[in-house]
Amino acid sequence: MMRPPDDLDVTRRHFLSRLSMGVGAMALGSLASAGRSVFPGSIDQLPHFAPRARRVIYLFQSGGPSQLDLFDYKPLLEKRNGEELPDSVRKGQRLTGMSGNQSSLPLAGAQFKWKRHGESGAWVSELLPHTAEIVDKLCFVRSMHTEAINHDPAITFFQTGSQIAGRPSMGSWISYGLGSENSNLPAYIVLVTKDKGGQPLYSRLWGSGFIDSRHQGVQLRAGRDPVLYLTNPEGVSPERRRRMLDRLRSLDAEQYLRENDPEIDARIAQYEMAYRMQMSVPDVSDLSDEPDEVFDLYGEEARTPGTYAANCLMARRLAERDVRFIQLYHQGWDQHGSLPASIRVQARETDQASAALVRDLERRGMLEDTLVVWGGEFGRTNYSQGALTANDYGRDHHPRCFTMWMAGGGVRPGTTYGATDDYGYNITENPVHVHDLNATMLHLLGIDHERLTHQHQGRDFRLTDVHGRVIGDLLA
Amino acid sequence: MPQITRSLLFSLLLATLVGQQASARDVDFQRSIRPILSRSCFECHGPDSESRQAGLRLDVEPEHRAGTSRLLVAGAPEKSLLYQRLTESDPDDRMPPLDAHHPVSTREIELIRRWILEGARWERHWAFVPPERSPLPVVGNQNWPRDDLDRFILAGLEAEGLAPAPEADAARLLRRASLDLTGLPPTLDELEAHLADDAPEAWNRVVTRLLESPAYGERMATLWLDLARYADTHGYQSDVERPVWPWRDWVIEAFNDNMPYDEFLSWQLAGDLLPEPTRAQRLATAFNRLHRQTNEGGSVEEEFRVEYVADRVHTFGTAMLGLTTECARCHDHKFDPISHEAYYQLFAFFDDIDESGLYSHFTNATPTPSLQLADDAKQRRMAVLSARIKELESTGSTLRDRPGSSFEDWLATNPRLPLELPGRQGDYRFDDVEGSVIFNHADPERPGQLGAGVEIRSRQDGGSLHLDGDNSASFPGVGEFDRNQPFTISLLLRPEAITERAVIIHRSRAWTDAGSQGYQLLLENGHPSWSLIHFWPGNAISIRTDEPLPVGQWSRLTLVYDGSSHASGMTLHVDGEQAETTITRDNLTRSITGGGPGALTIGQRFRDRGFKDGGVDELLVLDRALSTLEVRQIHDETALNHARTTAPGSLAETHRLREDPEHLAHLSELQEARRALAKELDSTPEIMTMTALPEPRTSRILERGRYDMPGRAVEPDTPEEIMVFPAGERRDRLGLARWTTDARNPLTARVAVNRLWEIAFGRGLVLTSEDFGSQGSVPSHPELLDQLALDLIESGWDIKAMLERIIGSATYRQDSTTTENTRRIDPGNALLSRGPANRLTAEMIRDQALSASGLLVDTIGGPSVHPYQPPGLWQEKSGRTYPQGSGETLHRRSLYTFWKRTSPPPMMMIFDAANRDVCVARRGATNTPLQALVLLNDPQFVEASRVLAERCLVHGGETPEEQVTFAFKSLTSREPTNGERRLLTDLFTEELSGFEPDEARALIEIGDTPTRDALDPIHLAAMTVVCSTILNSDAAVMRR
Repeated sequence: MMRPPDDLDVTRRHFLSRLSMGVGAMALGSLASAGRSVFPGSIDQLPHFAPRARRVIYLFQSGGPSQLDLFDYKPLLEKRNGEELPDSVRKGQRLTGMSGNQSSLPLAGAQFKWKRHGESGAWVSELLPHTAEIVDKLCFVRSMHTEAINHDPAITFFQTGSQIAGRPSMGSWISYGLGSENSNLPAYIVLVTKDKGGQPLYSRLWGSGFIDSRHQGVQLRAGRDPVLYLTNPEGVSPERRRRMLDRLRSLDAEQYLRENDPEIDARIAQYEMAYRMQMSVPDVSDLSDEPDEVFDLYGEEARTPGTYAANCLMARRLAERDVRFIQLYHQGWDQHGSLPASIRVQARETDQASAALVRDLERRGMLEDTLVVWGGEFGRTNYSQGALTANDYGRDHHPRCFTMWMAGGGVRPGTTYGATDDYGYNITENPVHVHDLNATMLHLLGIDHERLTHQHQGRDFRLTDVHGRVIGDLLA
Repeated sequence: MPQITRSLLFSLLLATLVGQQASARDVDFQRSIRPILSRSCFECHGPDSESRQAGLRLDVEPEHRAGTSRLLVAGAPEKSLLYQRLTESDPDDRMPPLDAHHPVSTREIELIRRWILEGARWERHWAFVPPERSPLPVVGNQNWPRDDLDRFILAGLEAEGLAPAPEADAARLLRRASLDLTGLPPTLDELEAHLADDAPEAWNRVVTRLLESPAYGERMATLWLDLARYADTHGYQSDVERPVWPWRDWVIEAFNDNMPYDEFLSWQLAGDLLPEPTRAQRLATAFNRLHRQTNEGGSVEEEFRVEYVADRVHTFGTAMLGLTTECARCHDHKFDPISHEAYYQLFAFFDDIDESGLYSHFTNATPTPSLQLADDAKQRRMAVLSARIKELESTGSTLRDRPGSSFEDWLATNPRLPLELPGRQGDYRFDDVEGSVIFNHADPERPGQLGAGVEIRSRQDGGSLHLDGDNSASFPGVGEFDRNQPFTISLLLRPEAITERAVIIHRSRAWTDAGSQGYQLLLENGHPSWSLIHFWPGNAISIRTDEPLPVGQWSRLTLVYDGSSHASGMTLHVDGEQAETTITRDNLTRSITGGGPGALTIGQRFRDRGFKDGGVDELLVLDRALSTLEVRQIHDETALNHARTTAPGSLAETHRLREDPEHLAHLSELQEARRALAKELDSTPEIMTMTALPEPRTSRILERGRYDMPGRAVEPDTPEEIMVFPAGERRDRLGLARWTTDARNPLTARVAVNRLWEIAFGRGLVLTSEDFGSQGSVPSHPELLDQLALDLIESGWDIKAMLERIIGSATYRQDSTTTENTRRIDPGNALLSRGPANRLTAEMIRDQALSASGLLVDTIGGPSVHPYQPPGLWQEKSGRTYPQGSGETLHRRSLYTFWKRTSPPPMMMIFDAANRDVCVARRGATNTPLQALVLLNDPQFVEASRVLAERCLVHGGETPEEQVTFAFKSLTSREPTNGERRLLTDLFTEELSGFEPDEARALIEIGDTPTRDALDPIHLAAMTVVCSTILNSDAAVMRR
């Protein structure tokens, strides 16, 4: 039988006395080099230059919202409603198999009222009255375009810079590059509207690909366990957990004396951080300390956990705690048929809270260093998928032009960038590719998108592959 | 610090460093120079011909060493252009350019200077040079080595002035090897037995036992599953389940049987091409089909098919050759000698099956090609049925050759034949459409339905259908035939123009983007094309006329099918005469019904291209195969009676098909047998595999990697820089398999032994086990790597033998405890100055908890299972519900956990499992707060702690000291120190007094496993906390 090495008793007492000084003292070890955050970044020399934004809130509208019914007003489509899409406009470009075999591609005008708003005079349809009120704070990009024509490749492209699976998501890149400014929360948090349905989402969209798993997005969910496995088991009170962790720490300290491995020190620190997360996550996800006027602003739905409105409010709370990258997903924008009815529902679910988030950040003085982005993976066609009737139409996927908006974080407010032709089919000026948008977002965070790289399988990968350019005109 | 002082200091430091190295040995080109050139120069001066600047190439030996080009002048760095440009004072001329992202440091420039000074000796990239044996290194300590491999390690240590670490104690070694080789910790019995075994060969006995344990195959398979990107779902978007676990079970078995590694690779690459392949050999090829697949509506089929073939290439490259090929998909590789063309030459090997880029949306058909996986009993039943069918078919052809015995009598009683053909289900003339109801003359109870937008136009003596391409007429209740039913369909049609594709008639749910199942008549560029389809293209029969149908006029098209599931049983007739046709598909083995409602429909199909401006009239549907004369009769109603008068003998076929009792009895018997076989087949599990096309497809270079930009055709070939493809070798996957496992291939064996080394030490001799290319890391012990690679080949690719050597080595048996000195000189343990210390993998962490608590169910193989998972994870992403298992399925080993690609098991992902979207050769091993939360709070770990606590209380001894010792040993495979025991006992006592009964009960009731009633809840809860504490401790989480 093995003899326990009790001759190390003296050293152990020394080590344990260090421990008894508490977690702060523990930081003497590997913690100090790891930084003070839960999920430290790993890149020196970042940011590359002074950032305009310290954090991002990405309001992802999954499914592909119709730019032609929300932002990109095309009177010509109303005038020529029902006429065939001219070949001179389509120019033989590919369509999906869903409408590509239709014998007719009838142009479909939006069936909504349009108005210019604010001093900037941006067009917004009646579907988004709250967004219409804040247009002077927004920067619209009407000339977004992408390469993919189906949801999975398109949304994967948007979030990871590649249609092929296996690459890190944008939030992971940013967590990897900039680390966290909060010692009790992950740098990258994901919020998905609950029970929404629609085109599926995939955890790879917030995965870290070939980067260290520390940088994967952590989902914050409505319900008992806001973060997976956060809550102590039934019967384990916080006091019991604390006692147990103290013993665990001593146990690991014993092990440290045997092994002399700094990794043990790091493990002890991770358990302390897990404990702190157990305190700080419920604190951030409990909205009961928000006054009524906040719910007036975001809408009553914000009281229901897991709604888009509640998630917008949560995003603001996370931003207040300096979470670096906050990613929302709202499904349901994939309106191949019955567009007029279902887009109303989508707009109602998202309009007020999106606008409220921008206003709320602004009045708290946070908009200037928080970048808010609103958009989906592609746009929708100017012709009707399926039959066009007097009050109904559908629209297929359209990657060639669509609209997104950004606010705060160093983007130029009250502007509209880029333009599409009168048919709303092709871009006529200032195209912005997905890689350009991503390069610009990184730029606002103080990152040169060509220099945030990670070597994998012998190659330096980056979010923007070998493409992307910062669109200077979008910057304030 | 002033500028001068700092740079002076730097120079001094540099001088010291360089001086140290110079005194030791010459600059090593492979280790020190090539990596600099690769990193900083190859992007513009490497293999990529498109981006190559100034025609200068540094990845191969420059052609002109001296003389005309002064790139490298041996012994004279100042005269060498390479050195001059690196040190050029004019920033505009200096290399690499300022805006390049990989500058060359001063230290590196100095290395290059010295290398030139020493003669600028050039070598090919080490990994492409076949391995060679070196003499065994001379070592000082002769007693330490147990195996030749130890000499290489020891020589490295001695060169750095280090001595090996002492041997680890027996318990520690047992835990390490058990986890490394089986993924499970030793049981307490195994631990005790080993500690009691004092024999000199005790360790060998352990290693042999572990290698013979069935758990060994499971552990090895787990690693291969990452490389094979194995998952239980298709991966894209809707991410539907696909049962491919039989392949996973084959892998486990292959490892347990110690199948030679060259065979293991060959079967997976090309089992279907081996002579008379066995079922296992064909099953192994599923490896190539495990990539993600999509069924997203509207996807371009070819776009995704190309994606799948590319994935096969990438997986082959990384898993078998340790080489990245992805870059070369769009352009020449920047670092390795894989040109754009070479990529598509590799691509051509894998582009050889009859597959679709989309799997079925509406049915669960297995994407083709596929393999039937009937069990033995079923196989026997099917063999009997097949033989019976064959026999009946041959009797059938005899019957066909002569008139039926009642033919003469029949002729006598039928001086004239009725004009109406028997067997009609549907007879629609479109002359009497009321509203949307199309009268059926064969069965007024089953009228047709006219869709909105379809016009009735007048034609000669009545109406006809006029179609717009978007709308249709449907005929519910008729034509609901499966593949064993003979039938005939006839109609008049009139195309107005030749189009690429037009759906005339079909009985199916939707077109190919959704996996159409049913039958269909299309016009393809004007040619009638008729198919019966289970899954397009690989499980279908299809014929096409050689001549197009005339445009702008009416033609009578009749389709006759004999129910045989053979393309030869299909005929197409134009205006009563059989048309010349070509068989385009001839493999139908499963049902053609399924996928939801689908009435016989004319003119259009969901998301397909309809019969625009087409006319259709006189639709007839019959539930039997018509005779040639009957087909003619439809077109010319005098045909039968004309034949009756002029050539009565020609009516023999008609008589046979209609009324010959002998034939009808035979037919019904045949149909019965076919139905019985079909029933067996339809319920046979099926798996995607490779089956090479009889005629190879022409593969083309895709410009910029785009599916819609095909360029020049290429032949299958391999990159010659690695190894020239042997002349005369077959240019298919089997040839590729032979090339891969050829003893002269410089990569395969090195990659394989490196991975085995990684299993034991946590890091390979080549750290980047996924990349042996120019950008990968150079081997820490190149001579050893070569030695082991050659040994592996010479042993007949014996994996167990190699592992036995490695695990038996003195190197492996070292203690892993570090000292200040070893940490300073060998921080990453690249020199192996100590034993390995690695965190348990995701699978090990969970399996250890299950094993220590006794919950583990050690059944091998079978369908994947659904253990505990937090609720709602599938729901919130895709609206599906996670079908959490119960009983034994909760406690199977983790490699059997159902892997849903778009929502993989969170516990596994938090512990760095690969997400199985693409081939992954190496996982991370992080240390994060989320891992702490899993081990503390995940119900499966709480349950395991509680069940272990029960064992402690029941079997662990009388006193708390004994009980906590039992728990500690179960989870960490060692005796606790006195301090540890005291700590845990104190914790137990503390918890004992702290628990309220309610709390205690709540804690011990977590998990499906019932609690042992006999135990005091508070005792059990307190011990549960103790077990959970141990389970979270470093001693349990690590293998050291």
